[in-house]
Amino acid sequence: MIATAPPVRQQPGSRTNAVLSGGRLLRLELRHSAMLAMLPLTAVLFWFNAYRPSMAEPPLWSLRAPTMQHGALLDFLLPVVGAAAWMGAREHRRGVTDLAEIVARARWIRQLYAWAAVTGWALAGYLVCVGVLYAVTAAQAPWGGPLWWPAVVGAAGLPALAAVGFAAGSCFPSRFMTPLISIGVFFLVGMSVNLTHGGTSFWQISPIIAGAVDIGADPGVATFYPYLPDLPIAQVIFLAGLTAAILGALGCAVASGGRALRATAAAICLAGLVAAATAIGFAGTARLDRHGMMVISALHDAANDQPISYTPACSKGTLPVCVNPAFAAYLPLVASALRPVVSQVAGLPGAPDRILQAAPTFTQEPHDAIGVGVGGVAGARYARGLRVVGAGLPDQLPGERQPDVTSAQYASQVRAQVGDAVVGYLLRTGKHDSPAQEAVRAGLLKAAGVRLIPPGQRPDGLGRTARGLVPGTAAYRSAMRFAALPTATRRAWLSTHLTALRAGHITLAQLP
Amino acid sequence: MTELPSSGGARLAGPPDVDPGATPSIARQGLVRLVVLYMSSRRILIALAAVVALAAGLRIAAHWHWDTYGALQLPLIVETACATVVAAATVSPFGGQERASGHWLPMLRLGAALGLTTWAVIALAAAGAGVHMSGGFLVMTRNVAGIAGLALLGATALGGGLAWVGPVGYLVVAVYSLYAQWHGGGPSTPWIWPARPLADAGAWLCAGAVFAAGMTLITVRGAKDGT
Repeated sequence: MIATAPPVRQQPGSRTNAVLSGGRLLRLELRHSAMLAMLPLTAVLFWFNAYRPSMAEPPLWSLRAPTMQHGALLDFLLPVVGAAAWMGAREHRRGVTDLAEIVARARWIRQLYAWAAVTGWALAGYLVCVGVLYAVTAAQAPWGGPLWWPAVVGAAGLPALAAVGFAAGSCFPSRFMTPLISIGVFFLVGMSVNLTHGGTSFWQISPIIAGAVDIGADPGVATFYPYLPDLPIAQVIFLAGLTAAILGALGCAVASGGRALRATAAAICLAGLVAAATAIGFAGTARLDRHGMMVISALHDAANDQPISYTPACSKGTLPVCVNPAFAAYLPLVASALRPVVSQVAGLPGAPDRILQAAPTFTQEPHDAIGVGVGGVAGARYARGLRVVGAGLPDQLPGERQPDVTSAQYASQVRAQVGDAVVGYLLRTGKHDSPAQEAVRAGLLKAAGVRLIPPGQRPDGLGRTARGLVPGTAAYRSAMRFAALPTATRRAWLSTHLTALRAGHITLAQLP
Repeated sequence: MTELPSSGGARLAGPPDVDPGATPSIARQGLVRLVVLYMSSRRILIALAAVVALAAGLRIAAHWHWDTYGALQLPLIVETACATVVAAATVSPFGGQERASGHWLPMLRLGAALGLTTWAVIALAAAGAGVHMSGGFLVMTRNVAGIAGLALLGATALGGGLAWVGPVGYLVVAVYSLYAQWHGGGPSTPWIWPARPLADAGAWLCAGAVFAAGMTLITVRGAKDGT
C-alpha cells in the first residue's frame, strides 16, 4: 500500500494521547494474552474442584463460601501462573528482546500491560465463576447474606499469582520455567495448610486458608456472629504487598527504563515488601475466638463481636423447638428427633416454654484439636419472660461432605445432646446433683430413647449418647425403675415432686 | 537448522554420512554426534538435572511432617512436575526444516522421551528409597508414565512449550480426587489413575494407553511447532 498522506502527528506529551495509546496497548495485550485461552480450562477446574464441592454442602453461606475460597484459588493458580510465565517469557521465546528495546515504551511499562492483561482475564473468569456459585447459593440459602470476604481474598490472590508467574517467566525465560513455576507455586500454596498448626501460625497468611484451619467450614461459624474480616484483611494486605513487591522488583533492572522509572519501581517494591511483611506479622498474632473465627487484635473491630439478630424459625406444639433461620431446613428433623423428650417434659411445672438453638463455642486445644461447646442465644428475638432452654445442635449437619452424617445419626445426636440439656433444665441440674436428680435425669432420658453410657466408658464418637450411671448402683436401679414407669405415672409424680427434687430434698428411696 | 560438518559428522537426512569404505568407528562417531546435537537442541541435560532436582526436593520434603492429605498429594505433585519436564524437552528450535530432513528424527524423539521418562522414574524411586511414599514404587511408575503420556499428547497438540497445560489441569483433578477418595467418595473412574489403588487394573490400562498414545504420537509427529 502506498501512503498518500503523512500520518497525523500526535501532540507529544498529551495526556489524552497517552491514555489512548495505553488503552490500545492494553487492548492488544488482552487480545493476545495466553490467559484468554486458559479460561475454558480454568472454568472446568473451578467446576470440578470448587463448584461441585461447594454445592455438595448444605446451602449455608458459612459452609459454601469458605469451601469455595479454598478450592477456587487452587483452580485458578496453575492456569494463571502458567499463562503469566508464558507471557513473561514471550519476548525471549520469539527472539525479539533486542527489537522490543527500541520501542517507545519502557520495558517495565510494557511488562505491566502484559501482566495486567493476564490479571484482567483471570479476574473476569473468577468473577463469572464465583458469581455463578454465589447466585445459586443466594437462591438456595434460606437466610443470611453472601460472605464477601472469601471471594475478595480469592480475587486479591490472582494479581499476586500472575505477578509471580510473570516475573519468573521474564527473569528466567526457559522452556522448563513455565511448568515448574506453576507447579512450584501450587505446591507452596496447596501445602500451606499443612504448615498451619494450633491456630497460631504465620502460614495463615496463605490465601486458601479461610478462617480457623482446625475448624474448617462449619455451619455454626459466621451464622450467629458476623464473619470476622481480620484474617481476610491481613491476607489481602499481604497479597497486594506481594504483587507490588514483585512488580516493583521487575522494574528495578537497568533495562527496565530510565532512572526515574526505576526509582519509582524500587519505591513500589519497598512499599510492597513492607506491606507483605506487616501482614505476615498480623497473621502470626491471630488467635481463635470463641465464635470460631480468627481475631487479629491490630485489625479487629469490636463492633463485629455483637451477635447477629434474628427471629428463630419454630416448630408448632406445646414445647416449640426453635432454630436459627439458616437451619430452617433442619427444623422438621430436629423437632421430630426431640418429640420423645418433649413428650416427657412439656407442661410440667418449671418446664421450658421454648427449646432454642444456641450458638456454638470453639476453643483451641492441643494437637490441633478443637473443643466445641454451647454458647448463648443472645441474637435470638423472642418474647421476654419465656422460659427458654438454649441448646447447641450437633456440629455436623446431614448432607455435609465430610464427615458424612446420616439423618438418622443426626436425629440420635440431637435427641441425646439437646435432650440432655432440656432434661437438665427441667431438673435444674448442675455440678452437685443429688443421687435422686441423677436417677430421674437418667430415667427420663432413657424413657425418651437416649442411649446412656456409664461414666468412664468411651462414648460412641458420634455424640449419640448421654452420660449415664454406673450399672449395679442404687441410683442406676432407681433410674431403670423410673424409666420403666408408664409416662402418665412418671409425669404425675414429677408434677408433684419436681420442686422438692430440684431442691435436693428427695432421696432415691422416695423415687417411684 | 544448524549445518553439520560433513566430514565425520552426521545429518538428520538419513543414515550417518558414511563413505562405503569408511570404518564402523567413524559411523559410530557420526551417530553419537547426531545424538549429542539432538540432546543439545532439546536441552536434555537441563531436563535431566531438573528431574534430579525435583527428586531431591521430594526426598527433602519426605522428611517433613505432613498430614494425610499432604502425604497423599506430595508425590503426585512431583510426578507431574517430572512429566512436564519430559514434555518441555520436546520443543524443537528448528521447526519445519528439521522435520523435513530428518529420517532419524522419530527414533531420536522416542529415545529422548522414553529415556527422560525412565530417568524420572529412576530418580523418584531413588528419592523414595528408605522412606514411606504414598502408593510406593509401582504407583509412582504408573503415575509418571501416564502423566508423561498426557504431556506428550499435549506437546503434539499444542506444542512443547504449552505441553504443561494438560498435566497441570490433570493435577488439580487428581489431587482433589485423591482427597475425595481418602474420604471414601469422589470420582472412581480409572482415567483418574493417580486416585486409584495399585491393584486397579483399569487404572493401569488407562495410564498405559495414554503413555503409549503419547509416545507414539511424539515419535511419529513430534511436538507441534510455532509456540
